Amino acid sequence: MLSRRDFFRSCGGAGCLLAAAGATGGVLLPAQRAFAKSTPRAHPARFWKKLPQKAVECELCPKHCKVEDRERGFCGVRENRDGEYVTLVWGQPCAVHLDPIEKKPLFHFRPGSRAFSIATAGCNLECKCCQNWDISQSKPEDVDFQFMPPDEVVRMAREYDACVTFTYSEPIVFLEYCIDTATAARKAGVRSTMVTGGSGESAPMKEALKVLDAVKVDLKGFTENYYRRMCKGKLEPVLKTLEVIRGSGVWLELVHLCIPGQNDGEGEIRDMCRWVKQHLGTDVPLHFTRFHPEFQMKNVAPTPNATLVRCREIGLAEGLSFVYTGNVPGLAGEDTGCPRCHKTVVFRRGFELLEMHIKNGRCEFCGAVIPGVWS
Amino acid sequence: MASDEQSSDRRRFLQGLVGAALATAGCGSSCASERAGRSEISTVVTQTEAARTAVLQGKPRVVVVRAKKVLTDGYDADAGAVRAMLDAGLVALSGEKNHTSALLRYFKPTDRVGLKINGLAGRNAATHVEVVDAISDMLARAGIEGRRQIAFDRFTRDLTASRIADKSRSGGYRAVGNDDAGHEEELVQMPSSASRLSRVLTRQVDGVLNLPVLKQHMLAGMTGALKNNFGCIHNPNKMHVDNCDPYVAEVNAVPAIRDKQRLVIMDALRPVLDNGPSYQPGMAAPANALLFATDPVALDTVALGILEGLRAKRALPTLAMLGQTPTYLATAARFGLGVNDRAAIDVVEIEV
Repeated sequence: MLSRRDFFRSCGGAGCLLAAAGATGGVLLPAQRAFAKSTPRAHPARFWKKLPQKAVECELCPKHCKVEDRERGFCGVRENRDGEYVTLVWGQPCAVHLDPIEKKPLFHFRPGSRAFSIATAGCNLECKCCQNWDISQSKPEDVDFQFMPPDEVVRMAREYDACVTFTYSEPIVFLEYCIDTATAARKAGVRSTMVTGGSGESAPMKEALKVLDAVKVDLKGFTENYYRRMCKGKLEPVLKTLEVIRGSGVWLELVHLCIPGQNDGEGEIRDMCRWVKQHLGTDVPLHFTRFHPEFQMKNVAPTPNATLVRCREIGLAEGLSFVYTGNVPGLAGEDTGCPRCHKTVVFRRGFELLEMHIKNGRCEFCGAVIPGVWS
Repeated sequence: MASDEQSSDRRRFLQGLVGAALATAGCGSSCASERAGRSEISTVVTQTEAARTAVLQGKPRVVVVRAKKVLTDGYDADAGAVRAMLDAGLVALSGEKNHTSALLRYFKPTDRVGLKINGLAGRNAATHVEVVDAISDMLARAGIEGRRQIAFDRFTRDLTASRIADKSRSGGYRAVGNDDAGHEEELVQMPSSASRLSRVLTRQVDGVLNLPVLKQHMLAGMTGALKNNFGCIHNPNKMHVDNCDPYVAEVNAVPAIRDKQRLVIMDALRPVLDNGPSYQPGMAAPANALLFATDPVALDTVALGILEGLRAKRALPTLAMLGQTPTYLATAARFGLGVNDRAAIDVVEIEV
């Protein structure tokens, strides 16, 4: 049986694009060029400062890595070269796929549209449950990649009538590439979205938000202990990022991957929902998604459906308007209901859009505004 | 339930370590010499009665060999002096009569030997090429010819910068960067992390001679024998938080790393005293020493004392004052990887 990693590798190695075709699968389309291992090209990094004796301090994320000459930061993709900081992933994606936007998941952002999804190696966290660890926990030279500058990304996204989505690994570690690509996309009338863990510094995030159209953030847990123990990160900077995104006006959705026994306690879920309501508002969609055993957590069972249903009930009870379940096609909680008339305005199954009853951003039945980007 | 399962995994991991440690202590060839209490250690070793007693008690041995004139121009090493140091150290560590028989205590003539150098800091603070060349020659004389020796580290560029990959020399060994050889696809799971192992380590060598450099390290406190094995994994960048503790210990507990490492010879000819692990002009000072051991924890413990002593002479604060205590040494000892109690280590000092 073909493993997930083998599948990804075969896609990359053969230089293929995965096109969305249906709820979960896809078809392989001819590639523009081949992926291959190579020496990564260096591109000047932004968001850092010089320290004495040729050291540098990265200011991209809260880790603030102090990096000596010839060393790299925690993410493994930014390197100090003789006192100058460079990124080794600009324009060098190792994953290029065409996905349904629902896969991100972004449920309130142009339902049924496509996302031309790219990722480079590297991540500034190390989540024990990572589904894409083979690229997120790798250095650029460890993965097959191709050179794809921003204009080329935009050209291909247009060709597939898709938005550009920075996803799979952690776009914050390739933020210069994101910003340059999203800037080019905006000029070309193509939208850009980001799927991130949200562990970034405010200044670079604000710069990226100027050219992004939607962001989905993984709110992985709601305790510092969880972030430290399971992700080698911190919760507080993520919460700060969420407020920055919400304050920017860029469309925001949240995902909480429910891992049995780790971050699915009722108290933690309730605290999280209350924080979301208080700090981000009731209109921000919150997805509770099913965990699948991966990476360092192969010994943990998948999330029971009942847990997802219960989490969703808590979110709704706490007053959030749009709470979804995910990664379980057919489980109640995939559709969008109108907060006023309670009729279903978007029917989905898995990543597939079935029906939509939203016109000009309003419920077709009662006229209530449904928050989101619908056209 | 999930956390119980994880705890169970952790228990199994630790139980495996203890079992392996006991096995090594009991019958591993790599440390048999220290445990055996041989009566003829070496004529060049001036042992105290306490040291002899220590050997008989089964203490791990660390041999420190010094040669005042080993550095020729402040950096490069004199090949003849290095050979003399290696000969003295190997003999003192093994109790054999010469370096050839000493090396054959740790490696079989049919072995393919990995020389795990440290090349990160380039020529000025890498494992001295004269040390690598000399040990390679000695291995060849012991029957392990150059074509079965591989000097390796993370990046080919580091092997080049440190002159290890210089094809014009007559060392005979090959130099391979993990970036060229690649890493295994399968992950090795550890309690706190997971890594892919260097294919040089897993596929191309049967035993490893660890050749670290003694350096202060801004994040780990000190880099030595244990930390040098970060060069055997694909993601050392993920393991520099919390003073690299428990990551250094966990990486060294990985069976492929722990079991293949037969011998450690540390290059402390010119340690980096501060702002390491990169080379900083003015921050390296001659110590003119090579350290030998089969117990990497014991070797690092002795090396830490040397580093702190050199720092004190420069009026540099202790690592503890900087919050850089290499706490991973205690963790490694707890894992059964070696001894970190200085009083429980048999330190043999030799001047050549």
